[in-house]
Amino acid sequence: MPVIPVAGSEEFANLPTSPAETRRIVGTAVKLHEVGQSVIDALDPLTYEVIRHRLTSITEEMGEALKRMSGSVVVTDCNDFDAAIMDEVGDVVQVGLYNTELAASLDMAVSWTLRHRAARPGIAPGDMFLCNDPWVGGGLHQNDVSLFAPLFIDGELFAWTGAVAHQVDLGGVSPGSWSVAATDVFWESVPTPPVKIVENGEIRDDIEDMYLRRSRVPKLVALDLRAKIGANNVAHERLHALCEKYGAATVKAVMRRVLKDAETRLRAKLSELPDGSWTSVAHQDSARSGDRGIYKIVCTLTKTRDTLTFDFTGTDPQVDGLINCTYAGLRGGIMPVLLTTLCGDIPWAPGGLYRCVEIISEPGTINNCTFPSGIGKASVASAWATTNVVTECLAGLLDAHPEHRKRLMSVCCGTWDFALLAGVDQRGGGFVTMLCDSMAGGLGARTHSDGVDTGGLACIPMGRVADVEMNEFSFPMLYLWRREEADSGGPGRFRGGVGASSCFIPYDSPLGGVHLVVSAPGKALPLAGGLAGGLPAGTQHDVLLRSTSVHEDFAAGRIPALLSELGGEAEVIPSHHETDLGSADVYFTHWQGGGGYGDPLLREPGAVAADVIAHKVSVTGAHDVYGVVLASDGTVDQDATTSHRSALRLSRAGLDSDRQEVNA
Amino acid sequence: MAYVIGIDIGGTFTDAFAADESGRVAATKTPSTPPDFSQGFLTVLDEMAGALGISTRALLSDTNYIIHGTTSTLNALVTGDVAAVGFLTTRGHADSVAIMNLEGRYAGLGSDRVQDMVLTNKPAPLVPPQLIRELDERIDYKGHEVVSLDETGARVAIRELVDAGAQAIAVSLLWSFLNDSHERRLGELITEEAPGLYVALSCDVSPRIREYARSATTIMNTQVGPRLRDYLRPLEAELRERGFGGSLLVMQGSGGCVDSSDAPSRAITTIGSVLTGGVVGCTRLAESLGHRNVISTDMGGTTFLAGLVVDGAPVSTTSTVLNQYQLNVPMVDVHTLGAGGGAIAWVDAGHNLRVGPRSAGARPGPACYGDGGTEPTVSDVDLLLGIINPGNFLGGRKKLSKELAAQAVRTHIAEPLGLSVDDAAAAVYAIQNAQTADLVRKVVVTSGHDPRDFVLYAFGGAGPMHCASYAADLEVGEVVVPLGSTAAVFSAYGLAASDIVLTAELSAPANFPTPVADFNSSFAHLRAELEDRLADQKLKFAHVAYRNEADMRYTLQLAEVATPVPAETVDESGLADIATGFGELYERLYGKGSGFAEAGLQLITYRTQAVGMLPIRPQLGEIPSGRGDPTPSSTRRVFLDARRGWQDADIHDYRDLAAGHELKGPAVVEAPTTTVALPEGCIGRVDRLGNLVIRYTQV
Amino acid sequence: MSLFIDDNLEQHSDGSVTCRHCSHLVGDAAAPMNAARVTETAPRTAGPSVREDAALFADRPIVFRRTFCPECLTLLQAEIVPGDEVSSRHRSLIVGA
Ligand SMILES: [Zn+2]
Repeated sequence: MPVIPVAGSEEFANLPTSPAETRRIVGTAVKLHEVGQSVIDALDPLTYEVIRHRLTSITEEMGEALKRMSGSVVVTDCNDFDAAIMDEVGDVVQVGLYNTELAASLDMAVSWTLRHRAARPGIAPGDMFLCNDPWVGGGLHQNDVSLFAPLFIDGELFAWTGAVAHQVDLGGVSPGSWSVAATDVFWESVPTPPVKIVENGEIRDDIEDMYLRRSRVPKLVALDLRAKIGANNVAHERLHALCEKYGAATVKAVMRRVLKDAETRLRAKLSELPDGSWTSVAHQDSARSGDRGIYKIVCTLTKTRDTLTFDFTGTDPQVDGLINCTYAGLRGGIMPVLLTTLCGDIPWAPGGLYRCVEIISEPGTINNCTFPSGIGKASVASAWATTNVVTECLAGLLDAHPEHRKRLMSVCCGTWDFALLAGVDQRGGGFVTMLCDSMAGGLGARTHSDGVDTGGLACIPMGRVADVEMNEFSFPMLYLWRREEADSGGPGRFRGGVGASSCFIPYDSPLGGVHLVVSAPGKALPLAGGLAGGLPAGTQHDVLLRSTSVHEDFAAGRIPALLSELGGEAEVIPSHHETDLGSADVYFTHWQGGGGYGDPLLREPGAVAADVIAHKVSVTGAHDVYGVVLASDGTVDQDATTSHRSALRLSRAGLDSDRQEVNA
Repeated sequence: MAYVIGIDIGGTFTDAFAADESGRVAATKTPSTPPDFSQGFLTVLDEMAGALGISTRALLSDTNYIIHGTTSTLNALVTGDVAAVGFLTTRGHADSVAIMNLEGRYAGLGSDRVQDMVLTNKPAPLVPPQLIRELDERIDYKGHEVVSLDETGARVAIRELVDAGAQAIAVSLLWSFLNDSHERRLGELITEEAPGLYVALSCDVSPRIREYARSATTIMNTQVGPRLRDYLRPLEAELRERGFGGSLLVMQGSGGCVDSSDAPSRAITTIGSVLTGGVVGCTRLAESLGHRNVISTDMGGTTFLAGLVVDGAPVSTTSTVLNQYQLNVPMVDVHTLGAGGGAIAWVDAGHNLRVGPRSAGARPGPACYGDGGTEPTVSDVDLLLGIINPGNFLGGRKKLSKELAAQAVRTHIAEPLGLSVDDAAAAVYAIQNAQTADLVRKVVVTSGHDPRDFVLYAFGGAGPMHCASYAADLEVGEVVVPLGSTAAVFSAYGLAASDIVLTAELSAPANFPTPVADFNSSFAHLRAELEDRLADQKLKFAHVAYRNEADMRYTLQLAEVATPVPAETVDESGLADIATGFGELYERLYGKGSGFAEAGLQLITYRTQAVGMLPIRPQLGEIPSGRGDPTPSSTRRVFLDARRGWQDADIHDYRDLAAGHELKGPAVVEAPTTTVALPEGCIGRVDRLGNLVIRYTQV
Repeated sequence: MSLFIDDNLEQHSDGSVTCRHCSHLVGDAAAPMNAARVTETAPRTAGPSVREDAALFADRPIVFRRTFCPECLTLLQAEIVPGDEVSSRHRSLIVGA
């Protein structure tokens, strides 16, 4: 059924709003703190640096508090959360080094709250607002729940702090709120626009119950809510002390200057880069289970002097399925790349960085969708694809500068390999868990070195995977292997980091098997593109083997190391799928690496030989893609390689040795 | 007389501290002698004998034990000068040490480097692919055998590894901590196939759940075990040659030592050997001074270290990060927070003044050293602000150039920012202190404590120059600068005052409460293991104590908390008490309401620590009392507080001070090994042991 | 003045774009690779990294599209994309004189 416009949803179709406009709409409903330029100008280097460092340390403390208190593996193990300090209108002054796409639209949510909640129910000291409506902001899909809190100093709204984290389940048709059959948002978790869940320092039980009632794991979600409250409280206590010591005006002046500093330095870096435009594309295959479509996000980055314009004209319209994202998701797709490739050495103050960025996008497209399009997997679907296309565009820009090109990466792990297990665990308890092994994606190749093998994801600088033993202890599963996969890194002069695979059987569940939800595109075509002649990374590859001989193999003293050794019937799993695994069924999930950089025929042959020894590249890959011929001891056969590379150079371009066209 | 001697070998100096039963103490210091550190070790003993007025032979023959802090294992791992190790593991899981849970790309890096994500990398592989073999065998999460060990394949693999050049073999199989039969059998097969080869099994080195850290720990242990053995054997032989009849003990990261014959098999436990002496010294000094909670800060020329003492015991951690690898090594939790006096001040691209994290290191060092450094460091600023006396640095052993320091500050800070050299230097000093307060605060808070409940101890060459300021920022009420007989060699004092500490642990993850019988038998097993190992130390102990703890967590929550457990057997109500204790500890660490009790509890790892107290515990002598006010040796202009600017300060020579003397800031105390800055608003009082105790009259 | 615009291409002040490996003209500022040689083959010719046939998952044709220097045949751009869609990968730099 096509998406039918919903009257009344316009109020939530939020867009970034300027501080002046926010102030105008708020009017006198809340007194917003302000600081004059003269105070900012009068800041001395000492005070500035001391307070700046303290703001960073407060953000870190928020992150620590949230992480240690959370009960969600995706938070505690995988760092799928973030925390931020914002000024009085929501401009983000400091963001933590966790999942940066989450914090990319907190400003929108805070500004919306100021514009829509200041009069009724009011914004007062001790309040905190909860939001998981990606049309408003503060997260990319409904599982991303933000909690932001105004900080009042002397009766004025001085600043906001915010914490966001992925919640394991907030309802919807499928476990994990990952409704692979969804055609629109009504199949999914209910989006909740900002509600005052904490009032005068106390949780409102009525609002909390309304929030928790939708979840399959309400206790866990309740705990995470408290973790976020704790994180905000920690920050408020320390910001209060800071204002007491230095004066609110001085602290605010530092916040303003941090924003300005980030802006100025990004502009300075942009000014050093050539003007021009870079266009690229990111694809996704399949919008929901049963769908065989392919969808594109096109981006043209134009850099003029010190400004970046991301123009998404040419992007496909929104689609029936769960892969769309809202404008918040679009911004969440841009921010991580902006931070990692342009701001490795610039303060992470998104509020300042956004001033250098213009976004052109048409509502109703796949990464700027309108209500009630399905957005259940927005964060790892269209937002992620936006990250992929922006990565390529920014890399092109950086590549034209001899120094700055050192900080470009080809596209990292092209998608999130989502595998959710649910059922009854070996101790008889019900469980729902997202397998986070695929956090260990391959990073993109760089201009001077290979991408990091199983190095993570673009949007989470500090991801983590759990040990096999912890997964086997916690969940009814037994691994045959978890290993890096040869050839999964995009070939190139510098190779993309390899991805990896996990292969496991259900084990010891009283039900005999487990329920499995799969959502992992990149099967019809790879999603992590290469640069400058570097090839894309490998495709996503998921295989379910039914009724295998695994238990017979075990009894005979063998651990199968290849799918072909397992017998049974192989089902190659489509991008979206939901099924049950039986006790002799084997599930193999192989996630992606990073894209390559430069022509693979220009790769140092010795590096290819070393890759073969280390199982990063197969002998076939070395021969067919890199043109490297190995001697029997694994070293490079120089002569054979030279002549094979000459021949390959012609044949891959469709020419014979006389440079005549070969009919393919 | 029976002596105990602590010898601490650092990168620059080798320190020694000796005490006898009567309370006589002596301290000496000599340059370290890399790469053969044992030369400095022997030299410092000669100097110690000289200081005591006896021959080295007389000293050594009267010495009951020498406790040694060594960097040899750490250096070997950092420089990569290690044995070539072959690695055997379960089929399908060899890549665990390459995947490194992916956190290996950033583990242990400062946030500035984590932020610069594109430039981050994983470290070089621990073992090259040619030296890794996977074997058919499998144990499950209950410890049951799923696939038997393929002995034929194992023998082939062992021979292949030896042929490929393995000098030692590390074995780490999945779930071996629950069922060690496959690892033990492999140990036998290795001995049969390659007699005499150094072998380490993960079930011995680190029987703890989580295969990545367990394997990394076992491999690193195997890399350095042969090296430590090759260092200690000749050293001990040389000591025997010189008349030593006592025990040579090696300090471990846990803050306790182990006999040198036992050390190589658990070599990895010695990687924190030299880091912990200071914290142990603080613990002992705190006992004498009656302080229960202490923040230990050691700011030297190249590092800033912070540790905690809570309720009279050093705060420990069960794991650490080295070369970005996660290691299961119980250690005193010593945090490296920054670059110490060598931290470089710089102006960033946004025209902001920054201090650290980059360091001038030991070479070229601060600009004022005149060894080629041109960038301004914290030490240069200390000199320019009048805190360091250029003619009396390290007791006059090192001449410093104010001109070079000023030039560095002028060129790199003052001119770019349009400040005077004085103002620039004062700003660097204040930023360094505020940053230190931020970092130390994080250490205290993330351990579940409030800095206001602590006394701060400051030592190291540079710590006392800054401590009054950063301690005030932390709202600590009292600061102790250890001076007196231990001042120059505080870590060596800590070594001499340490105990034998042995740790045994075993993961057996299960829902809690576990059956009482399982619980008690797990600890009985650990106790028996430790009793055997204590007997192997061949020492007489004044007293042996056992401490039990269990790493527990709420199901689904990551944080495991080492929860104290009674040393005797428990019944069901005892288990309930442990659960309550865990809940309270969890809330203290992570905040009220932070535990997800509804999910239930799990016990992951059992751990027992045996502490064998050595018969001689050095006692610090009291210093004479003084009368009236001390006489300053001079006055000079100092700049200790940006709000107050340049002030005239009394300069005191520490040797003129006596117990009971009080000094009012602004003042500077020059001791032979350090300088103490007392800003206005502070009062320093010399205590009976010769320490300077700083309190605040205003902030 | 000229500028290396990536590993393989150099753009000159007159707007021409040449191959860095052989100096052959490949395109101009508006279309840096318009004189390059383009081939389209099946995705699995990209090598073992493409694990399955695209037709298992999608109905649209998927191609491995490669762009080469016409002279030295260095690979300048490689993409695996729907074959019924023109390439969106494009760039245009302004190089000062
Ligand atoms: Zn060419």
